[in-house]
Amino acid sequence: MISQWLSRFCGLMLGVVLLAGEAHAEEKIYIVTSLPDLADIAARIGGDLVTVESLAKGIEDPHGVPIKPSFVPKLNRAQVLIVMGLEYEHSWIPALVTESRNSKIVKGNSGYIDVSLKVTPKEVPTDLSRAKGELHPAGNPHFNLDPEGGRLIAQTIAEGLTLNFPQHRATFEANLKVFLAQLNAKIRDWEILARPLHGVKFISYHQDFTYFADRFGMDYVGTIELKPGIEPTASHLVELMQNMKTVGAKIVLREPHFSEKVPNQIAAQVGGLVVKLPIMVGGSPEVKTYFDLIEYNIRELLKAAQVAGVAGKV
Amino acid sequence: MRTQLQLRVLIGLIILAFGIVGGLGPVFAQNPGVPAASEVENLKKQMALMEEQLRQLRLQVDKMAGQPVAPGSAGPPAASTADPALEKRLGEVENKADAALTATKKSFASQFNPSLSLAIDTIGSYKSNAQGFNPGDGTGTRDAGGRVNNSRPAGADFNLRTAELFISADVDPFTRAYAVINASADAANGDEATMGVEEAAIVTTRLPYNLTVRGGRFFADFGTLPHRHDHDLPFVDRPPSIDTFIGGESQTNGVEVSWLAPTPFYLRASGTIGNKLGADSREGVTNVNSRPIKGLTYLGRLQTYFDLNDDHNLELGGSIVETPNAEDITNSGRFERRLVGMDFRYRWYPLGSGVRQSLTIAGELLHDIGEADPVNGGRRTDVFGNPVRQGAWGGYVYAEYRLSKQWRPGFRFDYFQLQSEPLLVTNPLTGLPASTLNATGHRTDNRTWSPYLTWFPSEFQRLRLQYNRSVRGNAQSADEFFLQWTVFLGSHSHGFSERE
Repeated sequence: MISQWLSRFCGLMLGVVLLAGEAHAEEKIYIVTSLPDLADIAARIGGDLVTVESLAKGIEDPHGVPIKPSFVPKLNRAQVLIVMGLEYEHSWIPALVTESRNSKIVKGNSGYIDVSLKVTPKEVPTDLSRAKGELHPAGNPHFNLDPEGGRLIAQTIAEGLTLNFPQHRATFEANLKVFLAQLNAKIRDWEILARPLHGVKFISYHQDFTYFADRFGMDYVGTIELKPGIEPTASHLVELMQNMKTVGAKIVLREPHFSEKVPNQIAAQVGGLVVKLPIMVGGSPEVKTYFDLIEYNIRELLKAAQVAGVAGKV
Repeated sequence: MRTQLQLRVLIGLIILAFGIVGGLGPVFAQNPGVPAASEVENLKKQMALMEEQLRQLRLQVDKMAGQPVAPGSAGPPAASTADPALEKRLGEVENKADAALTATKKSFASQFNPSLSLAIDTIGSYKSNAQGFNPGDGTGTRDAGGRVNNSRPAGADFNLRTAELFISADVDPFTRAYAVINASADAANGDEATMGVEEAAIVTTRLPYNLTVRGGRFFADFGTLPHRHDHDLPFVDRPPSIDTFIGGESQTNGVEVSWLAPTPFYLRASGTIGNKLGADSREGVTNVNSRPIKGLTYLGRLQTYFDLNDDHNLELGGSIVETPNAEDITNSGRFERRLVGMDFRYRWYPLGSGVRQSLTIAGELLHDIGEADPVNGGRRTDVFGNPVRQGAWGGYVYAEYRLSKQWRPGFRFDYFQLQSEPLLVTNPLTGLPASTLNATGHRTDNRTWSPYLTWFPSEFQRLRLQYNRSVRGNAQSADEFFLQWTVFLGSHSHGFSERE
């Protein structure tokens, strides 16, 4: 009798162990990213092998995401953390990583993938002082808005994932190849599409369209913010509008997380118009993927440039 | 040139290998009957091996193509036909790159310096009479009841409350450490700058099972605002109830173990053993007398957090401090003291616009229970000589609305009962100690109403205006005005426990 129970029990335990093993084998790699663009690209590179989650959502201010304790259990379980780098997330990611008690994803360890490593940063301050603003100490971190930045992000993610999971190298490389092939084709299309934007003068609220403007030959006239992260003063706005009138800038870009009041006033003053442009995936309901982001921004700018009568001839 | 040679040799080897496989193919085909499954497997394996070798080769070729030509070597023929001006420029660039590389290799003794930041917190104030509270620095002397006696004179004042140096760094792969050194030049100390170590603690970073151990002097994990530094509070002064029940910050010397539960939601528990809690030394700090293990202070805290949805969230916590064998203020006996706290924080922070428009409502409720009679010494007894455990309630609640990135008005209400009124009166109806009445029948509880307005010109600078209206049972009510100006120098990073 006892032996019967014992054998049944042993069988049951064996079954449990086998099931647990099975479940473990099927478990996907859990990747946490700071921003949604990274999540979209990481999901493309990781394919079926990974589950990806972005902490921030596209409509948030990426520099000022609130430190929510609900992020902590996610980081605690994360096998890999992907960040933009260049101090983009300095006000929230370091504190969360410390609290997560996950030494794998601490900066400097293999689970911490910084996608800015291959990027040549623009607007690197020559004089590092808080008098120059607070948000871009390592250079402008908004390189995701340039599709070439997307290429570097994808390559760095593929390398980082391979470093952490060398057994899946072939999959990551194959997925990267597919992604890059699509991106290359898109970039060719976008460059043709964006030709009328060449030489179009614009301002934005925050200094985040530098890489985008450089890629498509647009002319950055200034920002509403006094310095990155510093709200404008009255005299700065007067000077900015004067400058816009002098050079004939009509387009005011507004990122979703900034108030519309000041951009609207400026546009009214200079006879221009405001365009609301997302700076991350999900920043606008139509923008669901990284490709959508670039495409949407180009198309919205084209529309605005035509309305304002500043679009160049193709 | 050598690399090219190696490449050629490798390619040659590959071709040879292919030739051998190709030659073997017919041999297998000539074998009578179907080839064994194992042979097919073998072939497959070989093919895989070849593919891998080819891939490696390709990688090497790519790598070589990207490699700069070593200086001094002849270089590929294409380079020799290049423009000499271009070569000259190339040489210049190389020299520059070499110089830059050499510069990065220099080492400095200061390379391992910890990160530093300094907070300067200065306050101008006016107080209608001395009954009001010090701006939360806990430096006042104690009254007969052992509580902060707000001896700061009435009238106008300027006070450099804090010049606080925060130092932190990793110690080694297993631990980090930080220290907070505070120099304040307070009028209460005759404007002499006093230097103090507010915190100096060692924290583990790699313990398994989500555990972290902190040891040294630190602000113990009790409630939400008690462990914040003065300049990190959402108001000018520490809520009077916290100041009274804990005595400034929740400082202790001891060891804390905290644990993050492996749950899908946030759940954190901590336990601390220390020698005291706060600036208040009622828990027997004197080392003149030997202290039993029971004379130490034991703390526990449990906290959790829920996202109600993307825009609303709620944080809840409970804390307890138990000193089984506390020493009372007149040093005449050892009696139990227990402090229980509950805290909540609700936040409306819309995802897209929370940076410029959000609401925080938060509060704490404390219950202090003690056996000692701080006035007469010894055990507290009622009029019939029976021992009494006396409790006192206190707490605060505040709401702060963010109007823009820069402007945040708020309002705080604070209430506490003085545990140490001169005489204990028993409520004639219930027979229980009536802790909010004193001998003359006046209330000895304290209420403070505090509207305030904070302006952030930038993330690192803050100006705050606050008005306190305090009404204290048998004393005159007091009006206080504060203007606080705070700046942060250096790497002011937001720690998790100082999050907004």
